[in-house]
Amino acid sequence: MSEKKPSLWLRIYSIIIYGFIYTPIFILIIFSFNTQKLNTHWEGFTLHWYQVLFHDAQILLATRNTLMIAVISTLVATIIGTMAALAMYRYRFPLYNASETVMYIPIVIPEVVMGISLLVFFVMINFTLGLSTITLSHIAFSIPFVALVVRARLHGYDKAIDEAAMDLGANELTTFWRVTLPTIMPGVLAGAMLALTLSLDDYVITYFTAGPGSTTLPLRVYSMVKTAVTPEINALSTLWVLIIFILLVFGQIAQRRKT
Amino acid sequence: MKSEFAVEFQDVVKLFPTPEGGQVNAVDHISIEINQGEFFSLLGPSGCGKTTSLRLMAGFEWPTSGDVLIDGEKMGRKPPYQRPVNTVFQNYALFQHMTVFQNVAFGLEMDKVPNDEITRRVNEALEMVKLPGMGRRKPKQLSGGQQQRIALARALVKRPEVLLLDEPLGALDLKLRKEMQLELKALQEQVGITFIYVTHDQEEALTMSNRIAVMSRGKALQIGSSIEIYERPNCKFVADFIGETNFLSGTVKAIEKERVVVALSTPEQEIKGIGIGELRIGQSVAVSIRPEKVHLADDDGSEVVSQGFPENQLKGRIIVTAYIGSDTRIVVELGPGVRMKVWEQNAISTLDPEAYYSVGDIVRIFIPYDNTLVLPEDTV
Amino acid sequence: MIPGQVIEEPKRKFSIMRLFRENSRAQGLLLISPTNIYLFILIVLPLILVTILSFLSRGTYGQVEFKFNLSNYVRLFDPLYAKVLVFSLLVGFGTTVICILVGYPLAYFIARAPARQRSLLLFLILLPFWTNFIIRIFAWMIILRSGGLLDSLLQWLHITQAPLNLLYSPTAVMIGMVYEFLPFMVLPLYTSLEKIENSLLEAAADLGAPPWKAFLRVTLPLSIPGMIAGTILTFIPAMGMFVVPDILGGAKTILIGNVIRNQFLTARDWPFGAAASMVLMLMTMVLTLYYTRKAGFGEELLV
Repeated sequence: MSEKKPSLWLRIYSIIIYGFIYTPIFILIIFSFNTQKLNTHWEGFTLHWYQVLFHDAQILLATRNTLMIAVISTLVATIIGTMAALAMYRYRFPLYNASETVMYIPIVIPEVVMGISLLVFFVMINFTLGLSTITLSHIAFSIPFVALVVRARLHGYDKAIDEAAMDLGANELTTFWRVTLPTIMPGVLAGAMLALTLSLDDYVITYFTAGPGSTTLPLRVYSMVKTAVTPEINALSTLWVLIIFILLVFGQIAQRRKT
Repeated sequence: MKSEFAVEFQDVVKLFPTPEGGQVNAVDHISIEINQGEFFSLLGPSGCGKTTSLRLMAGFEWPTSGDVLIDGEKMGRKPPYQRPVNTVFQNYALFQHMTVFQNVAFGLEMDKVPNDEITRRVNEALEMVKLPGMGRRKPKQLSGGQQQRIALARALVKRPEVLLLDEPLGALDLKLRKEMQLELKALQEQVGITFIYVTHDQEEALTMSNRIAVMSRGKALQIGSSIEIYERPNCKFVADFIGETNFLSGTVKAIEKERVVVALSTPEQEIKGIGIGELRIGQSVAVSIRPEKVHLADDDGSEVVSQGFPENQLKGRIIVTAYIGSDTRIVVELGPGVRMKVWEQNAISTLDPEAYYSVGDIVRIFIPYDNTLVLPEDTV
Repeated sequence: MIPGQVIEEPKRKFSIMRLFRENSRAQGLLLISPTNIYLFILIVLPLILVTILSFLSRGTYGQVEFKFNLSNYVRLFDPLYAKVLVFSLLVGFGTTVICILVGYPLAYFIARAPARQRSLLLFLILLPFWTNFIIRIFAWMIILRSGGLLDSLLQWLHITQAPLNLLYSPTAVMIGMVYEFLPFMVLPLYTSLEKIENSLLEAAADLGAPPWKAFLRVTLPLSIPGMIAGTILTFIPAMGMFVVPDILGGAKTILIGNVIRNQFLTARDWPFGAAASMVLMLMTMVLTLYYTRKAGFGEELLV
């Protein structure tokens, strides 16, 4: 689009909207240092809530679970999803259209429906609900997203470089490993990032497929919000935002370095 | 080197399925023998099957029927990495995530060549394509012409028996293309490998090749040296595709020992020439006359005579002249709707306007019988 | 070797490897089968089970009785539940419309910003998105509650006297929803706006169109793919939402998502919950199919 200077009103409007987006977060962060318990007005500065947070066994357990689930599901979903993207982009095979439709279902379906259907399924086959069911479910909804992202990045892939590799003596496997994969790696990493985010953040599906003993960070936060509302949640939120922020900044720097 | 021929096609057919469910004949019963050490071009318009033929040699496609032989050995369904040929791709297909050195070394790595030999041969190859010291760079940082040469080096470093080139100069600008044509030709003579070159540019093919196969619609219409193809095309398509020519329609009136007599439709007169292929009396023919192989003279008003003269004569009125320096391009109208291109060399340097033909002049066109080719009309 | 002698290729033994190498369809099938198998078992099968379940009934002791009937669906037409369905539609619709209205100018602003600033501006919109969304809704809880920050601010500015009681109301839910879904609308809108070539607007101006007309006749129509993609990303999840109404809406504001959740976890009437899910799916699928048939998925925006 043209780069004429946008009008003043547009600028003001945008600043207001950005304010709208960020104000809640800033309030969260500020009040995490508040001595007052009720989050209504400012009383004094303290790090007390952070201390509580670090000694909260349930939170620590939940964090460990969340990370474990996220790493496993991202790994599996990225591999399977990338394979699917390659299949959809390059080949024609029987069941192509059916496969494509099935892959889109988790993306368009309301999360509640997917959650309850998984619950029904696990119960019906007598699979005890727990961390494993959560992980399996996370993989299920991540695969299509990974496939979508990788497939979009495959657009415009120059098939000739694969042919060149084979022409120079590399067999199919070597070609994939030394040429295809490195070339699509940025897309695969983008897909993996998406899968990771989806898993770390997921509440609804996790809610339905979690067993009584298993808890993840989103689940824990939710129950804290509904029951015991203390600034400990603010502290958790602040840390979460901070970590994400640092990771994203690192990500941006790494990207800049490459080019 | 085991066989007389570097590459052979034995009645090769390649069919591709069409989206509508049918099949298209990309390669339609082609038999070719390419000699060792030859610079051989596959020439034709897009869709003629030349690229498919190249890919059949490289191993990216397998024939539907027939055999592809490399150095006397049937390739069957061997994949590309088991064939002793290497390809230079149209868009270079350099590995963007590797350096220039790694690109060129790739093929040697696949052959499990020891590291110090790799280094030596890669540097040799880079020298050969006149890009020494570029090893550390990434392909992105090089110009089109440089990338082209790296692609060449990458293929040549493996010392294949045959080098396949798929329109390698298509993406370069004109001046660079002409330079590279000469460089490639010199390179081939220096290295001595068989080069098989695909192009749609007939001038390029004529410049570089020992022999050319002119292709159309999956068939190899004519295979021969540049001279053979240009001077004695075996059909209308080849005469039309190579260089420029005029076509006059007519029917065969008589077949003499060395000459064929044709009755032209417009202008209504007889003309004699060399018959190409089996011709019968009454057959529709197209008479091919190249514009540079005739000469003009002012019309002296006498009757146009075809018998007893050592040359054909045509008469007409000039409707276009274009002076381009070395020659003048002239279009002569022979009759309603029938025109002929004539190129007169400007052999004498003069500013006298009378020395040049102008629009409206009535002229005679003299065509030696040997410069008149009688070709069968297309049946399509 | 005699020149010209043709060497026959040795008889090649059959192998699985060769089958896959030579047959591209086999390769494709091989690559897609993990996905197909996995998704069939964990997505298709469960959905089929839910469909079947929706036609069954809950027995007296909470078990499932295998008598096919439509009682669940009939029950959904009951005014109690019909109201919830309609309300869910309204909320989904409203969220989408408000997101378009609020988000369009923002997307426009970013699309017209200098190229270097654009990625930064986008990054700033996405950044909150990467924090957990429950946390963000919680933040709104703090702001909107009775006596909370918004009340304090408005009273301090002397705009209101008494607390507004915004929390636990449809208004609060809408605020939460818009807050949640705004990035999903802004991003696709930005993508399709950014793709509009400068030369098109210049041509419009050259042909006599003032800026507002150029916007209406050129920019707006060309941004429709973005609107559609954004709508799909907003409307469907919004309709199925239960977290936002649960936290910000209290007992008064219920969406169909809450109903489903309750049936499965508290009321334990699974068949009825299944039926409600089917209805929700139908509503969203129908609208999705309608849109995508008209204007594609907006996949081109992903590139």
